[in-house]
Amino acid sequence: MSIKNDSEFKAALIRLEPGRQRRAAARFVERVLDLSGDVRVRAAVEAAQRGDMPEAEREVLYQAANTARVESFTQCGREADWAAQAGHFVAKAAVSCVKSPMSGESLAWDAAMHARMARTCQSVAQGVGTETREAEIQYGILDELLKT
Amino acid sequence: MSASLDKGVRVLKEMIDAPIASYFNSCVHCGLCAEACLFYTESGDPKYTPIHKLEPMRRIYEQEYTLLGRLAKWTGLSKPVTDDELEQWKELVYNSCTMCGRCSLVCPVGNDIVYMVRKFREGMAVSGHAPEGIVGATQRTIQIGSPMGVRLPAVQAQVKHVEAEIGMNIPMDAEGAEYMVLLSSMEIINFPEYLSAIARIMRQAGKTWTLCSTAFEATNSGIQIGVSDLAKVIVSRIVEGAERLKVKTVISPECGHAYTALRWEGANLIGRPYGFKVQHILEVLDEFRAAGLIRTEGFEEGRLTFHDPCQLVRRGGVFEQPRNLMKMLAKDFVEMPDAGKMNWCCGGGGGASAIEEGAELRLVAFKRKKSQLEATGAQTLVTACANCRIVLEEGLEHYQMDIPVVGLTETIAEHLVEDRQA
Repeated sequence: MSIKNDSEFKAALIRLEPGRQRRAAARFVERVLDLSGDVRVRAAVEAAQRGDMPEAEREVLYQAANTARVESFTQCGREADWAAQAGHFVAKAAVSCVKSPMSGESLAWDAAMHARMARTCQSVAQGVGTETREAEIQYGILDELLKT
Repeated sequence: MSASLDKGVRVLKEMIDAPIASYFNSCVHCGLCAEACLFYTESGDPKYTPIHKLEPMRRIYEQEYTLLGRLAKWTGLSKPVTDDELEQWKELVYNSCTMCGRCSLVCPVGNDIVYMVRKFREGMAVSGHAPEGIVGATQRTIQIGSPMGVRLPAVQAQVKHVEAEIGMNIPMDAEGAEYMVLLSSMEIINFPEYLSAIARIMRQAGKTWTLCSTAFEATNSGIQIGVSDLAKVIVSRIVEGAERLKVKTVISPECGHAYTALRWEGANLIGRPYGFKVQHILEVLDEFRAAGLIRTEGFEEGRLTFHDPCQLVRRGGVFEQPRNLMKMLAKDFVEMPDAGKMNWCCGGGGGASAIEEGAELRLVAFKRKKSQLEATGAQTLVTACANCRIVLEEGLEHYQMDIPVVGLTETIAEHLVEDRQA
């Protein structure tokens, strides 16, 4: 494995052109997709895997995924349901897959971080400790992607 | 009369202190408070007139503490407050009051209506008429220490996530640190970026700071439901933690009511001065800015505006600080109409956002924020309260306005010179 830490991971992601960033983002989110049952989230990730979606389609998918993100926030004062919160972060990661990139942003890095947060929420929900191997797995995914 | 109603009425009688008695006597029925309340202005329903929301309490005041009121009660001309009536008033005193303080500010005779609502809520809670959502939050606060049921392992999980993301250690229980940072439940659950931003900013400012394992939670649902004893327990936990760690300053997070509870009411609740200073995160950041301790580069794209959280600007006086900070980030910054101390609430403060049955009314009230935003043409909405942030997002989503909502602290962190060079 050539990528060993987050600095290298981030630097490699930033160098990717937008289409490949989306594909990388989709691969990261795909790993945690089972934590969300929302079809809008799945549709965004599946489209991002293609990497070359038309602008109009991207916009529609973005709106739908963003609605899923907003609807899945835990409201102030409500009891935290960490399994549901994992779904919220998957939705957030899916938004990164289909959002329009702003300067200075890395869609794939954001998606990777939200996907890791989803995994963390899952571990809190299951009460199994907070060690996850998500980061290492993401390094491997990116390594593979860079080879193609 | 049921036992709970009896208890509630007794508490309400006790709550009627000199200020409340004088407020009821001073009210000139001018209706200015109605025009200041977004639940009235956006629905047009007169039942949402702020002073009317206190009607059962006013009757108790008259019947118990005025000669004419006592006579009217004795002759049966003035009816006693009933359980049904309080149940009916639940919507008025919780769902449609965010304790934003706009009504108190415009009252020409200086009646602090928010103070009265707080006291009324004490009686409502005791008589069993507080909304389920807020009761649940309160029970979790008593049992777990957090209204949203956040326990230390969840905070530690977030700490680990943030440490991995930014490659820095997040200090926990560091004795003698300059600052103790509190988090709101909302930040722990929904916005890990806040903690990440704090760590990066503190590093650049060269300040020592810590989280406290026994007092990480800032949210004070005792203030929201109207139970002073609970509010006191929550404040005491923070005071104990801060004094044990010997910190100089406790930083209240991007949460409106947490700031009010700790900064303005906490010392009175525990009955003694603190051994440390309390500041809102925006006050701290502005001090860092003025001292040249934080350096940013680049600007946000497009037009930005700032939503003033009510508890910060109107009840806390934190007005200049966010504007000074916005200048570091925005080339094109525009104020909303009525910005600053007369700003309109997001519609979800004071525990209102935890009340499921109030969701529809919140969206009606949001029409005011919508029109404020439309007047600016802003492309990004910045704020400094995690609760406002979610309520704003929901409102924007409902009215199909595509305006991203971001926290001021995290946005500053994104522009730190150090981070951009890393």
